[in-house]
Amino acid sequence: MRIGDFRASYAHDEALWPTRVQRTGLALLALALALFPFAANGYVVGLACLVGIHCIAAAGLNIMTGYTGLISLGHAAFMGVGCYTAAWFAQRGLPFFVTLPLAGLFAAAIGIVVGLPSLRIKGLYLAVATLATQFLLVYVFREWDSVTGGVRGVNVPNASLFGFELGNDHRMYYLIVPVAALMLVAGRNLFRTRVGRAFIAIRDKDISAEVLGIELLHYKLAAFAIGSFYAGVAGALLGYFYRAMTPEYFTLQLSVFYLAAIIVGGLGSMLGTILGAVFMTLVPELLRGGVAFVAQWAPRATEILSPIQQVVFGLLIMGFLVFEPHGLLEIWRRVRRLFHLWPFRA
Amino acid sequence: MSANDTPHDLSRRHLLGAGLGAAAASALPLRAALAQSGELVVGAAPPITGVFAFAGVGLHQGLGDYCEWRNATKGGVAGRKLRYVGEDSAYKMDQAMAVFKKIMGAHKPPVFYGDSTAWAKAAAKEVSQLGTTMTSSPSFASDLADPKNVPFYFMAGPTYTAMGEILLEYIHRTSRGATKPALAIVYSDTEFGRDPIAGIKAKAQALQIPVVQEIVTKPGAVDVSAEVAKLRRAKPDFVIFHGYVLAPIPEFIKQMREAGMATTPMGTIWSMDLTTVNAMGAAAPGWMGVMPYRYSYDTQDAPTMQAIKDYAAKVRPDMKYVPLFYTHGWLVGMIFAEVMERTLKAGKPLTGPNMKAALESIKDWDTGGVTGLLVNLQGHQIASGRIYAYNADTKLMEPASGWIRTA
Repeated sequence: MRIGDFRASYAHDEALWPTRVQRTGLALLALALALFPFAANGYVVGLACLVGIHCIAAAGLNIMTGYTGLISLGHAAFMGVGCYTAAWFAQRGLPFFVTLPLAGLFAAAIGIVVGLPSLRIKGLYLAVATLATQFLLVYVFREWDSVTGGVRGVNVPNASLFGFELGNDHRMYYLIVPVAALMLVAGRNLFRTRVGRAFIAIRDKDISAEVLGIELLHYKLAAFAIGSFYAGVAGALLGYFYRAMTPEYFTLQLSVFYLAAIIVGGLGSMLGTILGAVFMTLVPELLRGGVAFVAQWAPRATEILSPIQQVVFGLLIMGFLVFEPHGLLEIWRRVRRLFHLWPFRA
Repeated sequence: MSANDTPHDLSRRHLLGAGLGAAAASALPLRAALAQSGELVVGAAPPITGVFAFAGVGLHQGLGDYCEWRNATKGGVAGRKLRYVGEDSAYKMDQAMAVFKKIMGAHKPPVFYGDSTAWAKAAAKEVSQLGTTMTSSPSFASDLADPKNVPFYFMAGPTYTAMGEILLEYIHRTSRGATKPALAIVYSDTEFGRDPIAGIKAKAQALQIPVVQEIVTKPGAVDVSAEVAKLRRAKPDFVIFHGYVLAPIPEFIKQMREAGMATTPMGTIWSMDLTTVNAMGAAAPGWMGVMPYRYSYDTQDAPTMQAIKDYAAKVRPDMKYVPLFYTHGWLVGMIFAEVMERTLKAGKPLTGPNMKAALESIKDWDTGGVTGLLVNLQGHQIASGRIYAYNADTKLMEPASGWIRTA
């Protein structure tokens, strides 16, 4: 049982991970992540890349929705902006370490424009406004042939670092995972700053926040910009990962996927974001893996069990919402408390 | 934790453990050793669920059944048994790519069947890099029939552009008099819908068929009265619908008939299956379109169609009608087998370049009647088809033309 966490200095109090156990755990996690591609096959590494991308995108939505209370149904479109921006610049020879920030900045700029109505509207009304953005941007992706390749889509050149091409999933992993880690840590840090706390104040009661001197327009637009920046970077990584993209990827369904991820994971938490993204990406894979396992001996099982697996996934999400409305994060916290307080009851 | 929670936790733990165990076990290449010792794995990510499930189940069944049939009747390919490994893609690119990577990693299949244009484009670079696999999918997107840029991909049928050209060729050949019939094109605002439009317009211009109206709709549009009003003003003799499976075609036809129009509606492959046409109800009579394959009930002088029908009846007794999706899956299997057989018989390993050479050597190949003409695959497509029209008396699609080859 951990019996105390005494903070004897300001530096200790301000530390992101104040205990030695946390720091050791994180160091081990970092080591495990670094060695992971050596132990895993292409399929698993590919999934890890996808989880990393989903984590970044979901973190962006969590900043907007979970932390600031601004519901967005246009997150997939912001990803699209990032993807096409990166593709366009990459085709002109710019390296990924330039295209990734540019993708984020372009998406952030669009996010600021989309966020403008957020001063006047909120809740479902804002959701509808962002929904309109989703359709509008997808329309632009389809029609702006010279930039986006229209409905046929774009090819994205391989990301490369000083001539070393990141041309497969194992190499892309070492781009995606560090970027995801960096952005998640930045996201966590954000909410220890004045800006982040202003976001939370706006979410809890925007009128009260304004009375306290928080400029609503400024901070709401900042939330949109930061959230869209995350989406843009995720979209750029997605483009580099698949190396080809069509507008049909950035559908409303994808926006809802991210919304579901942060709700299932836990609103207003970076750890919840990771748990949600992992759940939404890996659970369908696990269920499909179960079907494939059975199909080795009963080939016809694929036809019967595949639709059932989707039903099971839907039921799992519903189950989480009903039995654990605070998301996977709350389960994680309970488990942590159990270990912290063992042998006493949590 | 309260005592009351214990059963739930145990149950949750068991469920989680069972799920993880099953998934981990499935990820293991349990039969990889078998594959190396002789089996040829046919990998696939068909859309068994999702918006394309209406076709995906048939595609999955057709390809899988072909492998079984081939093993039973011909002992596989060059003495090596075929083994079909297919997992549902749900018509989602992420999932299709995950299935692709999983099967490629676990079984190293020399051939792989995907689920869509998006998959084909996303996988193309990886497939080229690997250089180990020949691929196909249900996509007939025009820019995928490109031996230079997409070298390890073929389609078991004509491109959507070629389908449009076959329809126009039919209109051209059947038109009488000095004035060419007028044409309208109605297509969905999707990659699928837009794909052949430029090609169709170019071909129409070459054949001097005037395109009097061009209408774009949402894929499943419901209210089409404004669009029908445009068609009414344009007075086309033929309307080509593309980029749809069913809706909004029946609504278009219904409203066109109510408006007294004598226009002939035409479609392309995915709106030509008999079950789809029957689902049009009162709009079905008069419907015609292009089909790259024979319908499964058309078995005269078509031994492969008879074999398909017999095998499906044997292993799937509840399947009363063999859909075109099944036939498509079967034909893809035939081409995969032919490519691998030619490569192995030439004493070459099953690599992408060797299989590409084998694919492109397929000339005047007899499919046993699945296609009406002998097949050439130098262009990585089967650029032929026939016009079929719905017969309200027999409730069957019947030939309205001979087989037409483009390009």
